[in-house]
Amino acid sequence: MLLYTAQSNSGKGTNLIIISFLKFIAFNFNKRKSLNRYLKTKDGWLNFSIGLKTEDNSLQYGISFFEGKVTVTRAIAHDAKAVMIFKNDEAARRLLLGTPTDIIYMLLKSDVRIDGSVSYANIFSFFISVLFHGIQKRAMKAERNKDDKTVKRQQPKQDKQLSDEIRKRRKERLQGSRDDANVLFLDDPYLSQYSVDDFPRLQLFLDDHLTKKPAVCGERAYLLTQWYRENGFEKDSSGNKWDPIVRNALAYKYMMENRKSIINTDSLLAGTTTSKPIGCPVYPDGSGIMIWNELLTIPYRTYNPFDIDDQTREVLHFDVFPFWLHRNVREWVRDKYNNPLSQQLDERYALYFNWKQATISHTIPNFPKVMAMGTLGMIQEIHEELNKGCGEEKQNCLTAMILCLEGINAYAQNLSKQAMGDSNREQNPQRKQELLTIADICSRIPMHGAQTLHEAVMAVWIIWIALHMESMNAGLSLGRLDQWLQPYFVNDMKNIPLEKRDEYIKFALELIGDFYMRCTDHFPLTPDLANFYFGGSSSDQAITLGGITPDGKDAVCDMTYIFLKVTEMLSVRDPNVNARYMPGVNSDTYLKRLCEVNLITAATPSMHSDAAIIKALTPMGYDINDIRDWSATGCVEPTLSHKHFGHTNMQMMNMVAALEMALNNGYHPLTKLDVGPKTGRVEDGVFTTFDTFFNAFTQQFAFLVDQSIDYNNKLAEAHQLIRPTPLLSAFIEGCLEKGKDVTKGGARYNSSGTAIIGLADVTDSMMAIKKLVYDEKRYSFADIKKAVDSNFAQDVVLLSLVHKKIPLFGSASDEAVAMANRITTWAHDHYSKMPHYRGGTYATGFWSMSNHVAFGTLTGALPSGRLAGKPFTPGLTPQPFASKNLLDNIRDVARLNPENCNNNIAFNVKVVPSAIESRQKTVNDMFSYVKTYFELGGMQMQMNVVTSAVLRDAMAHPENYRNLIVRISGYNAYFVTLNRQMQLELIERAEYGI
Amino acid sequence: MNKALILAIKGNSLDDGPGIRTVVFFKGCPLNCVWCHNPESKRAVVELSWDQNECIGCLTCTTVCHVNAISKNNTFFINRDTCTLCFQCVEVCPSGAMAGVGKYMDVNGVVNEIIKDKPFFDTSGGGVTLSGGEPTVYMQFASELLKALKKIKIHTLIETGGYFNWDEFEANIAPYCDMVYYDIKLIDDDEHKKYCGVSNVKILQNFKNLVELSQKNTIQLMPRIPLVPEITATKHNIEGIAQFLSECGVNHVQLLRYNPLWPEKCKKIGISPELIDKKLTQWMSAEEYEQCRQVACKNGMQM
Repeated sequence: MLLYTAQSNSGKGTNLIIISFLKFIAFNFNKRKSLNRYLKTKDGWLNFSIGLKTEDNSLQYGISFFEGKVTVTRAIAHDAKAVMIFKNDEAARRLLLGTPTDIIYMLLKSDVRIDGSVSYANIFSFFISVLFHGIQKRAMKAERNKDDKTVKRQQPKQDKQLSDEIRKRRKERLQGSRDDANVLFLDDPYLSQYSVDDFPRLQLFLDDHLTKKPAVCGERAYLLTQWYRENGFEKDSSGNKWDPIVRNALAYKYMMENRKSIINTDSLLAGTTTSKPIGCPVYPDGSGIMIWNELLTIPYRTYNPFDIDDQTREVLHFDVFPFWLHRNVREWVRDKYNNPLSQQLDERYALYFNWKQATISHTIPNFPKVMAMGTLGMIQEIHEELNKGCGEEKQNCLTAMILCLEGINAYAQNLSKQAMGDSNREQNPQRKQELLTIADICSRIPMHGAQTLHEAVMAVWIIWIALHMESMNAGLSLGRLDQWLQPYFVNDMKNIPLEKRDEYIKFALELIGDFYMRCTDHFPLTPDLANFYFGGSSSDQAITLGGITPDGKDAVCDMTYIFLKVTEMLSVRDPNVNARYMPGVNSDTYLKRLCEVNLITAATPSMHSDAAIIKALTPMGYDINDIRDWSATGCVEPTLSHKHFGHTNMQMMNMVAALEMALNNGYHPLTKLDVGPKTGRVEDGVFTTFDTFFNAFTQQFAFLVDQSIDYNNKLAEAHQLIRPTPLLSAFIEGCLEKGKDVTKGGARYNSSGTAIIGLADVTDSMMAIKKLVYDEKRYSFADIKKAVDSNFAQDVVLLSLVHKKIPLFGSASDEAVAMANRITTWAHDHYSKMPHYRGGTYATGFWSMSNHVAFGTLTGALPSGRLAGKPFTPGLTPQPFASKNLLDNIRDVARLNPENCNNNIAFNVKVVPSAIESRQKTVNDMFSYVKTYFELGGMQMQMNVVTSAVLRDAMAHPENYRNLIVRISGYNAYFVTLNRQMQLELIERAEYGI
Repeated sequence: MNKALILAIKGNSLDDGPGIRTVVFFKGCPLNCVWCHNPESKRAVVELSWDQNECIGCLTCTTVCHVNAISKNNTFFINRDTCTLCFQCVEVCPSGAMAGVGKYMDVNGVVNEIIKDKPFFDTSGGGVTLSGGEPTVYMQFASELLKALKKIKIHTLIETGGYFNWDEFEANIAPYCDMVYYDIKLIDDDEHKKYCGVSNVKILQNFKNLVELSQKNTIQLMPRIPLVPEITATKHNIEGIAQFLSECGVNHVQLLRYNPLWPEKCKKIGISPELIDKKLTQWMSAEEYEQCRQVACKNGMQM
């Protein structure tokens, strides 16, 4: 490949390379039939043009695809769908000659930006890949090998002692006593006699889960597209405008009737979310078409590689994606609002990321209802509402709900038939019997109410699949399954003779374990860009355990401990287990068990205080009984179970960007965007008091918040038109009575929740500025600004001062805590006064998922002493050098006002158990930290119980740590699947011995 | 009010008694053990320390020193003969490498620092440990402090080398102390004089008295042997101590693993560590520890 070797530093040289490159593409696509065919889809020729230019116009070209003909032009067409703007000549060369990973980094770092439609730029990128995927694959492989070699060189010898230690943790298990009023049957609630070795079925599932590569599954996308192609999207076949909710329900029903019914090998639960053993469903109506450019290379990328078969690739490229090219929420906003500023800012990756471009469904569906009355009961209830008489909107909404529920019933019937057929072919008598049981259950469930635990779990699983066929697999969460399943468990136990109860408890463990493993049968279809942002994240299906009942009593029950035992035995990333604890109500036995499971699994569950959550949510005007029934959603965020559409991960907001803009008079250094309010130049000495600077920061922050909410509102409109969710609405209280979809405010409670990132970094920066410039007057603000701009290259003294002598958040400093509270108060008050399109409020959260790493990479040095490109702290965790004393961290975080954190927080603590202490002592120490933290008012805490030495060994020798889970901020991930930056961030976290 | 020279108050200790504890380190000790793992706690005077690992080499300190006591050419950076301990350098040091060692505090000051940790004591069954140095050097102060802590229902523990006046201890410390960690280093008096600088007669006698006292009241007593390779971690010494304990009617002892970090700490306060044995530069191996444990066990001790 001559093109790949030709390099020159002169602008002229670059011009030559670019034009040769484009002409080479044009030539090949024009002449080679095998390539040319990619230009024509089911909707006809892909007609569009793309521009390429540098910021200073040193080069400028266009390439157009029209009726199967590719031409290269000297000028960029006025109607170019997207213009790729390079920072400079060199960036242009690197982009065209680089690997797909290079391209992502260039986009992120603003070496190239896209003006216009990202989707069209993606198609262009796919065409490049069609031509060069062989080279790209080799380059990706070389990149990976090089990286592997580097980490292996740093840590050439594997340390078996380290990897064995984690495994050995499982062997020693404490016993518990029956101290919880609602534990009725478990003599040892810790169920210490069991280990995963007692469940061959679960071990099999685990092996599959950890070894099988997920595959892209086009089934859902294909069936929906097929229906829409036949019945119309904007208008129906007779030319009448569709009510989107009815249209979506009809298409949904068709899909559910026609999708494959699969009974998993050896599973006690029927049905799958995709047609693959482990699949990535495609949601082209959301963000699915983001992977268009990766259709050929996705199996070869370093992080989260997915298989894709030829048929799926062809269907997606020629049929599905073209249909949705303008019918996805993101492009809809671009078309309707002419590429608004709020969308452009989002697409620069460094300021905020609005999740609504992918999904809105971070919520908790009404499982207790379907368990109790079945889908038929729900349909009956909807009919009764319809019979009361209602307007067209309500009638359509309710009809749509019925259609969706009928779709589920059809699917369950198909599963029943499939199980029956499978049982006929099955040779093993035990399995044959299981299949017959499954066939029997699915013939009644979820249509009718459940009678047994097995039936109830089957109902949950089938509904779970069904909801994921409507809403994207990102953050939809399971709620308080221990509470909702306990009555069925109790009922079963009562009907069982005493001597068989132990056996039944074992069955319950196996069943719940099976359910966990079903939840791992799907994976979000992340574009490679998202591996950078959300590395290692699964679909974050949160389960919530324990806490108190709606009337304030102890909710910990037998099923709580059964779920905890399964969590301990499987140690899987998903479901994301969240445990509630109410000081003064829940027992020490329970809290100690949470700590023991956390110790054994190294990372889960995440623990929450009910008292703090109640404090946080009460001012929102919610009913106290509903608040007490809260569940964690996605990562950590509170949703009032099945009554609340809280889209709790509406956005990831980079608060540090506001700080950078305040330091630069509204200009954002990395993106070079000069869009913020003109709050004044530090160098001009305009900030005469600390408050004047704080005010500049809040003005910049307000600008970003307002822009992000503008985009959120526009995306919301798109959701209402493109993807209303009548099925989900049937599972959220309020929608039935109001006759309104959840996307339009049908739920009883409405809100949107934010994740504001960088609280510790901003607080510490503010502290450094306040102390050094205004209180002690040791430095001028301009000097600090200069040091920050030069990444402290000449300012080691200042850097050291900030690290060692400034009272930082987490150092037991009243002043730093007051500063953090000042910032969270401002954020909370500003967000909560914004009008909400569904009639609720915006809730503020201080956690970061994984974006503290991503946004950190895209941010310069800070007055807090954090160097350029380094991660922010996870969630709101104090900086590692804030204090050597963990208690200082705990106390300071506990002193944050919960009312400002009504979308929760993530406080990450890395503790390292002593090799010589007993299990009991280690658990007791963890327990003491957590209990005190909660008694002091703390809201949420999650512990990684692993040393940096283990993590370093795992980085170099991943094969020994396949299922080592770690908490990033709010969610779990397998450490070995994380990108390098995230791995290093975990390694560098402060480590406290216990 | 009575003041004591406090080396440090450290929270979140999990190894100095039951539960989560806050340890008050006193500065000053009547013994002079060669391996002392807190060498900066030996002298009952305020000192200046310089930590090479923390130092960023900015030399800001040299600009404020009016006796020119600081130079890179000095063995341990600071010329201690000329230094007047004005601590100007500590004020300006950006990295914390220059630090004052020891601070005179009154009882209220100490209690105020501790009180914030009380919630952790309460959930963990922890409390406060007085350590050192040797807390009984400040007998009156320690007494007042312990009294104040007991008044607010905090569990108290004192770690002592046992070289104190018994009557004073019995009257001022014992009544306010829930636990005593009592170090017995060497059973042979000559060796004790050689390595610890004083005779052990008083220490052993005080121990006997304490055993008697603990049988009368609720004070809990835990004898400990700090294991120092080739010095205390020898068969005859452990056997000897075990026999002594048995004679006193005590059948439990704690063995403390040797900590080799003290030579580095010596350098910080300008002392060249006298290394008697190469082994003193290393952590104790699991086997060595196990051997010591077995000797103690064989002589009737429980761990």
